[in-house]
Formats: sequence, C-alpha cells, structure tokens
Amino acid sequence: MISIILVPLGFYYVNWSKSGEGAGLYSRDWKPDEVFAYWNPDDFYQPVKSVVGVFKGEECINCHKGVTPGIVKDWQASRHSKADKKVFCSDCHGDNHENLHMPTPKVCASCHTVQHQQFVDEKRYGFPSHALAMERALDAKHFVDKPKAEVTACLQCHSVATKCDSCHSRHKFSAAEARRPEACITCHSGPPHPDDETYFNSAHGQLYLKEGDQWDWSKPLKKGNYPAPTCAYCHMDEGKHQVADKSIWKFGLKQINPLSSGNEIKRNKWIKLCSDCHDKNWSAQQLKAMDAERKKTWNKLYQAEAILKDLRSNNNLFPSTELRPPYPGDTKHSLIQRERIGFFEGQASAFYNVSPIERDYFNMWYFGNLGAYKGSAHGDNSFVKKWHASMDENLKDIKIKAEQLQRSEKIKTNTKIIKDIWHKGEYTEFNQENN
Amino acid sequence: MKIKLFRGYFFIFILSVLSPQLHADKNSIPSGNIDNNTCIVCHKKHNPQLIKDWGSSIHASTQPVTDCISCHGKNHNNSAAMARPDKTCIECHGGDKSPVVHSYTSSKHGIIMRLEKNTYDWQQPLAQANYRAPGCSYCHMHDSNHNINSLSRDSLMDKKAADNNETSIRSVCQDCHAPRYITRLLVNGENMLEIARKKVREGAGLIEQASALFSESELKPARQVMEKMQHHLKNVYLGVGHQSPDYQWWHGHPALDGDLLNIKGIISELYRNKDTKAP
Repeated sequence: MISIILVPLGFYYVNWSKSGEGAGLYSRDWKPDEVFAYWNPDDFYQPVKSVVGVFKGEECINCHKGVTPGIVKDWQASRHSKADKKVFCSDCHGDNHENLHMPTPKVCASCHTVQHQQFVDEKRYGFPSHALAMERALDAKHFVDKPKAEVTACLQCHSVATKCDSCHSRHKFSAAEARRPEACITCHSGPPHPDDETYFNSAHGQLYLKEGDQWDWSKPLKKGNYPAPTCAYCHMDEGKHQVADKSIWKFGLKQINPLSSGNEIKRNKWIKLCSDCHDKNWSAQQLKAMDAERKKTWNKLYQAEAILKDLRSNNNLFPSTELRPPYPGDTKHSLIQRERIGFFEGQASAFYNVSPIERDYFNMWYFGNLGAYKGSAHGDNSFVKKWHASMDENLKDIKIKAEQLQRSEKIKTNTKIIKDIWHKGEYTEFNQENN
Repeated sequence: MKIKLFRGYFFIFILSVLSPQLHADKNSIPSGNIDNNTCIVCHKKHNPQLIKDWGSSIHASTQPVTDCISCHGKNHNNSAAMARPDKTCIECHGGDKSPVVHSYTSSKHGIIMRLEKNTYDWQQPLAQANYRAPGCSYCHMHDSNHNINSLSRDSLMDKKAADNNETSIRSVCQDCHAPRYITRLLVNGENMLEIARKKVREGAGLIEQASALFSESELKPARQVMEKMQHHLKNVYLGVGHQSPDYQWWHGHPALDGDLLNIKGIISELYRNKDTKAP
C-alpha cells in the first residue's frame, strides 16, 4: 500500500523538480544565463523573431553571404554543399526564420544514423561519457550553486552531448578534422585532464607532431592507416562514437577495481587495440604498470583523506562548517552540515568556501592525482614523476598543517569576526543571492 | 598612456624629418632590403591612417619599438603575407606556453588555425572571413587596422574599459557569427569577468581591513596570494577574449576560489591567534 503511494509520488517529485526555469534535477533552484541557449539548445534556445519569412536553401546562402560570409564559405567547403543532393541551411535549421532551431545530435541523426546510434549508446558505459556530459554538468552541486555567468565555461565543454560541432566544427563538419588530436584539446586540457600535454609529450604524440601534417586524415581509424595512434585512434577505434567503451579508470576521481570482470573485458579490448602495433605481452605489461601507478597514487590520497577525517572527528578543521557558508546545495537539500571529504561525500563540488587544508587535498586529488593518471595512461613518464613528486609535497604539507591545527586552541572570542570573514564580502554575498 | 602615444608620434615625426631623400611613389615598390625609415616615409604618404593607427598602438612605444620590419621583414616582397600568420606574434608574446598565446591556441579558433594554416592563402586581406579560423592578426589587426590595441583594454579591474572596444569586437566577430550570438557572448563574458573582479576585490578588502590590526610581515602570505589572484583574473580575461573554456574555468575561476579561501584562512588564523593571546 505504502509503495503504491510512494512510487508515483517519487516520480511526481522528480518531474516537479525538473520543471523549473533551469534544467536538470535542481532546475527550480537556478535561472539560465542567456548564452546557455547555444550550449544547451533543447532546453534554452529561442529563435530570433526579427527576420520574418520562409526561405529556401539558396535564399539563405544568398543573404548570409553578405551577413555572415564566414559560415557560407565554410559550408561551401563542406561535403554538405558538394553532395548530389545538397544539404542546405534549411535542412538543419528549418526554413521558417522566425522558428529556426540549433541543430542538436538528433537533427544530424536524420542522415548520420549509425554515428548517432553509437553516440547515444555510449550512455550505457556511464559517466564520464560524451553522451551524458550535459545532464551531469547541470546536476553538479557547484554548477547549481554558483552564479551562472561564472559557470558558463562548464557548459561550453559539456555541450559535447548536445551538439556535434564540438568535434566536427561548424559549418564544415569534417570527419578528418575530428580525427586529429587537436579536435579534442579545447576541452581535454588543463589541470584535471591534461590529455593534450601528456599525449603530445608521449612517443606517440611526438611522432604525430613531427609527421602528422603529412598523414592522410581522410582514412578511417583502422590498423595500418596511421603510423602513430591519436586520441581518436585509440578512444574511437574504427570510428566508433562510444568514446567511453574501454574506459577503466574513468575520470580518475575514485579508486576502482581494475581487475573486475567488466574491466577485464575492457583490458582485453585495449590489448587487442595496442597489438595493432605492439606485442600483446608488452601491452599487457603497460596496463599492469598503470595499475601499479594508480595503486601508489591512491595510497597517497587515502593517507591525506584519513588525516582530514581525523581532523573532522576531533573538530580541528578551521574554519569548521559552523563558521563558513554551507556546502553547495546544502541549504535546501540537506539538514546536517558537515565537512565533505573525499569522492563519496561529494568533496568534488567543495573547492570553495572550505578551509585551506581541505582545498589542499582537493588540489592534490584533482591536479596531482589526475596529472599522474593521464601521464601514466598516455605514456608520458615525465608527467608521472612530476605529479608524484607534487603529491608527496602536498601530503607533507597536509601533515604539517594538520599538526598545527591539532595544536591550535579552539576559537573563543573572535567567532563573529571569523564568521564575517567567511560569510561576507562582495563575491560571497553576490553568490548567496545569485545562482 | 599619453606619454606612450606621444612617444609613438614623436618617433614618426623624427623619421619623417630625417629622411627627406625618400620620395617613392606608388609604382616604385622598393626592391632588396629596406629599413624602417623607408617604410614609414612612403606609407605615410600612401596610407597615412595606417601609420597613424600604428603610432597610437602599444607597438609604437615598446622598447625596442615594434616597427614595420619587426613583423614584415626587411624585404617588401611578400611582406604582408609573412606578417599575417600567428608565428609572427607568438615570438614576442611569450611563446607557445604563455597564457596569452596558449589561451588562443587551445581555443576552437586556435586549433582550426593550427590544422589548416598551411592551406590558407595568406595574401588575402584580414577581413570578410577570408580565413576559416581567425588568427591573432585577423582579430587584432582586422581589416589592416594597425592599432593593435583596438580589442584590448588597459585595466582589467575597470568595467568601463569594455565599452570602448565593443564596436571593434563586433566588427570582427560578425564576419562569421550572428549579431545576437555576439551580444550574448559579450554580455556573458563581461559578467564572468566582473564576477572574477568581485573575488579579487573581496580578497583585497579583507587584507585592507586586517592591515589596521596586523603587521605587514603577518600579512605577507596573504599579499602573496593576492598576486596570484591578479594572474588568475588575467586568465579569466584571456579565456573570455580568446574563448577558451579552460582559461575561463580551470586556470581562472576555481583558481581564484582557492586564492580567496587561502586569504580568508590566513586572516582567520591571525584573528584566532590574537584571540588566544588575549588576556
């Protein structure tokens, strides 16, 4: 009886929470920035009403030659303009100018069926994946909590789920362009995912940098077609759009069991792929070396996590949750305030308004760990060494700071001043009122 | 700034006075190696606006001066095409790894440029979307505007500075992008930058307040973090200007968040110690 009432109520609640001005699970808690229309068109795009009329493809081209010559030139250079039956602007954007739309993957799917099916199928490999990138970004606590103009950059990259031109840049939409490693690096760069640096530093990447411009990029991503592997050659072998299909360690933010039966299947897929060029045993050995590197990293991370959890148990974190603003989303979604430490407590969203030692751990976990991970995965030993040395340094600092915190006396009289330091101030107050 | 402008004009003036012997007309393009004086005198006659624009730009007042031959080389032959590609600019602007360059080269514009630069006809003017991806010069010297500052700003902390270059920015972006798209990106970018400024001002304000109670040596660590904030603010600016999500975000906002909480942490500790020392 209870379940008959609770289950529909649950569905109703989720639907209700998704029907706000924003999007995703917390859509009632935030309003979109106008620019989101371009990153997440399905939820936010509204057509321009200033131009009225229904136009044929040639008419679009004639007018836009003058208005935005760049996109017309791009289209003219594309296969869309050269096909027997040309694919015009109106085929993807619609022909009624008052009711135009941004082409989402579904629009591309009307011709590129196989690629779209593969792209959507990637969801079954879970997150991180291109196909789930947008919905997971919208549901991230810090995305919901922060001012929307600040977190626009999140959607720029996470729009890989909502528009095909993240990789096949508009309006040329070239397969050859997307095969090259540069197509990935606008998003796959920077401290938590230095895929660009680690690949370009590796022997594979060095060969690419030296000779890549001379390779024939119109060829499919298959054995024998390329002298060195690229991002797409390995992660999208034979052009498959399930980019996450062999992902064992995923984002790298939590420890996984690399020897689970599911991961054994993925491991064998890697070995098969590497043996396009390498000996099988050698490839298996490389993967084992990566397991060892990951184990070493998690040993360091767990030590830091344990130190932080000890500080929390003894109420030694300073400032503690009573003195600082709530964790993102906590005011509305959680009754008990406490410091979040590690992946499973949601520390991934807690990189601001936390005590310095918690942020130190965040830096070690996000930048040190992930730098070493990507160095290890892409064959850049210099990166592995650099970030392990950095994690050792982080761990040492965390230990020293923890000892200081343990020795420090509890705050007595200046509580209000310290509360003000953490709760007041131009950005902090703006953030509390704007998200 | 005024002194710098004056220096630029003064430089042109001196060159004109010292080089009366040069009276090249339109049809006599000099052959062989030429020096900078020759360029200025002749081009002042044939396209005075170009020389004026260059004179008002920061290039005219750098030490040493970034003159014509710095970018165009000493030979008139092919001199425009040799100046247009990104490598001309990157050499002086800190190399591939400097934030100003890397924020562009890792942007979508930058990566398309990296892949396609060898297929472009660099004789084409820097306008009308003659290049599929815009390089440094396409935007910052659009339509041959030699005032390199037209898209940039002097102060990152001053919001008003944005109004001065909005028209110039629009005239570049509209070669490829729709007017509403440009507007929304400009508004969003300015808001994103303003939020970064709020973080910087909050940090600076806290240090300022604390300076009434604590000594400079006690506040030194906080001031060191403040210096990092300036770099991270610049990263947000570069991320917005060059449309690099990575600079807007990882090199920008979360880095500023870390700086701000470290400043707060340092100052809170000072108050806590003061508290425990109190009688």
